[in-house]
Amino acid sequence: MSLDIPRNTAAPAPSRRSFLHENPSVLWFMGLLGVFTVAVTVLSEGFGLGLISTNLVKVLGMTLCLCLIAIAMDVVWGYCGILSLGHFAFFGLGGYAIGMWLMYARTEIVIRDSLGRGTIPPTELEVSEAVAAQIFGVVGSSELPLIWTFAGSLPFQLAMVVLVPGVLALVFGWLAFRSRVTGVYLSILTQAMTLALSLYLFQNDTGLRGNNGLSGLQNIPGFLHVPQSVLSVWFFWASAFMLGAGYLLFAWVVSGKFGSVIRAIRDNEARVRFLGYNVEGYKLFVFTVTAVISGIAGALYYPQAGIINPAEIAPIASIYLAVWVAIGGRGRLYGAVIGAAFVSLLSSWLTGGGAPNIDLGFYRIVWTDWWLVLLGLGFVAVTLFFPKGIGGLFDYLVRKKP
Amino acid sequence: MLRLFPLVALTLALAITLPLRAQTDSLTPLQDALQSVQEHVASPSRATVPAVLRALLDADAPGTVDFLRAWGDREVYERAEDGLFFYALEAPDRMLALIDIDSGAEAGAVSTRAVNQIRPNAGVRREIGAALVSFELMHPEASRRLAALDNIARSPDAEQIEALTLARDAEDDSRIAARMDRLLDLLNARFATDTDVRVDAIDGLRGDISTEARRVLNQILQTRAEFAPEIPEGTNVARIRAPGSDIELIAAYATLAEAGLVPARPGRNAIRDALRRNVVDGAVGGIPVHQLTSDEMRRAAYAALEAQGSVAPLVTEDDMRAAVREVVFFDAYLEPDPAVTDAARDALDSTRTRISLWQFVSISLDALSLASIFFLAAIGLAITFGVMRVINMAHGEFIMMGAYTGYVVQTVIPNYTTSLIVALPLAFAVTFAAGVAMERLVIRHLYTRPLETLLATFGISIALQQLAKNIFGTQARPLTAPDWLAGAIQVNDVVSVASIRVAIFVMAIGFLAMLLYILNRTRLGLEVRAVTQNPGMAASMGINPDRINMLTFGLGSGIAGVAGVSIGLVAQVTSEMGANYIVQSFMTVVVGGVGSVFGTLAGATLIGFLQKGIEWFNPANTLAAQTFMVLFIILFIQFRPKGIVALKGRAAGD
Repeated sequence: MSLDIPRNTAAPAPSRRSFLHENPSVLWFMGLLGVFTVAVTVLSEGFGLGLISTNLVKVLGMTLCLCLIAIAMDVVWGYCGILSLGHFAFFGLGGYAIGMWLMYARTEIVIRDSLGRGTIPPTELEVSEAVAAQIFGVVGSSELPLIWTFAGSLPFQLAMVVLVPGVLALVFGWLAFRSRVTGVYLSILTQAMTLALSLYLFQNDTGLRGNNGLSGLQNIPGFLHVPQSVLSVWFFWASAFMLGAGYLLFAWVVSGKFGSVIRAIRDNEARVRFLGYNVEGYKLFVFTVTAVISGIAGALYYPQAGIINPAEIAPIASIYLAVWVAIGGRGRLYGAVIGAAFVSLLSSWLTGGGAPNIDLGFYRIVWTDWWLVLLGLGFVAVTLFFPKGIGGLFDYLVRKKP
Repeated sequence: MLRLFPLVALTLALAITLPLRAQTDSLTPLQDALQSVQEHVASPSRATVPAVLRALLDADAPGTVDFLRAWGDREVYERAEDGLFFYALEAPDRMLALIDIDSGAEAGAVSTRAVNQIRPNAGVRREIGAALVSFELMHPEASRRLAALDNIARSPDAEQIEALTLARDAEDDSRIAARMDRLLDLLNARFATDTDVRVDAIDGLRGDISTEARRVLNQILQTRAEFAPEIPEGTNVARIRAPGSDIELIAAYATLAEAGLVPARPGRNAIRDALRRNVVDGAVGGIPVHQLTSDEMRRAAYAALEAQGSVAPLVTEDDMRAAVREVVFFDAYLEPDPAVTDAARDALDSTRTRISLWQFVSISLDALSLASIFFLAAIGLAITFGVMRVINMAHGEFIMMGAYTGYVVQTVIPNYTTSLIVALPLAFAVTFAAGVAMERLVIRHLYTRPLETLLATFGISIALQQLAKNIFGTQARPLTAPDWLAGAIQVNDVVSVASIRVAIFVMAIGFLAMLLYILNRTRLGLEVRAVTQNPGMAASMGINPDRINMLTFGLGSGIAGVAGVSIGLVAQVTSEMGANYIVQSFMTVVVGGVGSVFGTLAGATLIGFLQKGIEWFNPANTLAAQTFMVLFIILFIQFRPKGIVALKGRAAGD
């Protein structure tokens, strides 16, 4: 092609179609999420008819948080091709960060209340000593560890929700991507990171109460008089809002030029590098942003769950996350949401004793025993026969239309 | 001790002459001898014990030792009607079955009221014990003499020195004599009256790493914290403690207060309590209660109270300094003689170097044992991951399957040795079959998608784990090692290795040799290496890559099964045991270098030594060791992404 072709005709302008027009699934998703939120609110005990128990509202709110981390996982794995087996660690870190404030602030209120009844008001030192003894008595210590110094400050701990997972992901990702660790090696490395973190948290002397974890997180300081039925709906709203915002953010991130680059990295990393892109920078950005979103999801999840302990961060949890995304369908955001919601709800239904046991005459299938077998084998089947997951079904629906 | 001497000499004479003297003709020589000193036996006192012993010595009856022991243990009874002595057994209906002390035959049952139990007091029992010790020390049977020495070592006491010295002179067996010499050193070091003897004995213990020697030296070096206006004459001072640096000022002052020399310092809590007691109209010392929210305000209020004279005075830091300046705080040895403590400290210091050397050996052996477990767990993975580039997350479950196979075999075959011999090949067969089935059904379809192999095998892993839980329950099942593997090889008091760990090490070496043989010397190995390097070319040379892949996977899984049996012998068999090893196994393979048997060996060794090394610095916390190890591995991969043994050229693949 010669360069002196007269450019009298303007090149066709890039189609200026709107972001939403390009991504019809975003509108659909937002609409469904909105309808779902309103429906749950109307049916809840706290704000409406009381057809849904507070417990169920909590489970649904927690499921929304799991959906949020699932779309983060989908972006990092389904779009960018990094099979991270460590994102649940970021989720847990977010939970720990907010849990420290919840536990500290609530204990402080209780302690001030009981010490205030004495003839002489307590000094600040006495209060913080009593709080430390209350929180850490269970691990045989009565001193407040250094990392709890600002645990009484909500803004600080909220910043930690974002910063701790973000910085950890940044450092880890920088180390890993810079030495070109890819594929299964990277997966194992992220799994090792998760293992190290959970082993670290399991120790009593690391200042996070060892395997006791943090508990009583469902009580929100400042709102101790608000009944759980109302609190649960508030958290449900917050979870729904964050899921919607996260979906929007990721849909925008993956739809533009940036999205094309990270998909190209997934498909052939070397070729993208030869084209002059800074592959490591892109990967690091995706890894870190998804880690931060995971942390936020965790910070919303654990106040609804009420307790967090190091077992939540064990490597297995991150693998389940991959399972959800794979079953839901990789490389499409709604697939991750479907997978996370479907598998986690089915799991709590089957293991929570909700499902009827099946009597085969010679053997009685107790779902609590057989659910994991079913999940494992179902997962193998999905990997083998439906690599696109449940989300793949939508392709057929869409394709039928002209 | 001198008082004891005739007694000891007596019993020694008894012991030495025992084999030489003829038995008396009487049928009841022991009873006769006892009857001659009936009163002394029935109501013994320390003064009369020698008389009894002399009588026994003269009679020289068999069963004398047993009688002495029973006498001391309050197991001898006197029949009230005729004053004869018996042993007794409990019989029903509050009766005692009497036993003749000469023949050991039953002598009829009597009511407990018809006999008197003879109860020697503690002093008498000690004399009897001393007599017994020297008697045992001269016993013709070497095993009895050794047992007596062990007894002395267990409860050493000053009075044994004499008996031991005499026995040492009469000892012929060089092994026992050496042991006696050492015991003498131990006893002399602690109990001898003469300083030179003690120092000599302590020097004899120099470099002795046994716990008993160290215990003796540490006992000599025991200290007590003391204080005085100035150090009293003749005190054996271990060290002087300066308040503020070696001992905290507050603690030093508290010590003085405890001794009643200075008024106690009111602490924060005492101040608070005093204020609480003195609240008048909502104020303390003129300060309203609601302002007392800081330590300064509280102290001010307290000072006001002090001015009124209603509370004990505050003690300032200057007061405390002045008070402690009046006295010296120091640690004094309980042992008054400085020559002895100096010698003991010297001896202990020289021992310490040797102990750390031996500890290093011990840690290395532990690390070696851990490394062989890691190697066994990881080598199967190295084959499947390294040769086929297939990540098998269910590898841990194959380990678990092997261990449960061992458990099932053990329930069928009760003999542990036989069942172990049966279990090893059976575990290999079971997991080989499972591996081949998995390869045929699942992995074969995913060779082009390695990340999905990881996920699919993970699905299999959770299904298998839950299946095991359904079949065997969540309870841990024991896999018992045969008796000949149960003990430990005791090198010395610092180093000992469990036999089972040695067996596992040997097994790991065996597997290494077998694998090297298979890969380098057999047709199968040749084909495996060909497929590894270039599957297409191998296929065109007439090798069937499908078959090779299947067999390789089966081999890797089979080894996992055998590893499972051996790991089950040292750890509990649970459905989760595989999951505990899987991440470490991957690390071993990745650190060592994918695709190389020697790499896995190097990786396992590195990780084993690393973990034990970190544990050495922080022995209380194995979790911390694991955490740091994982961090180290993450960093290690930064610098050697392809592991210790990196394949070069085309075989390295990507």
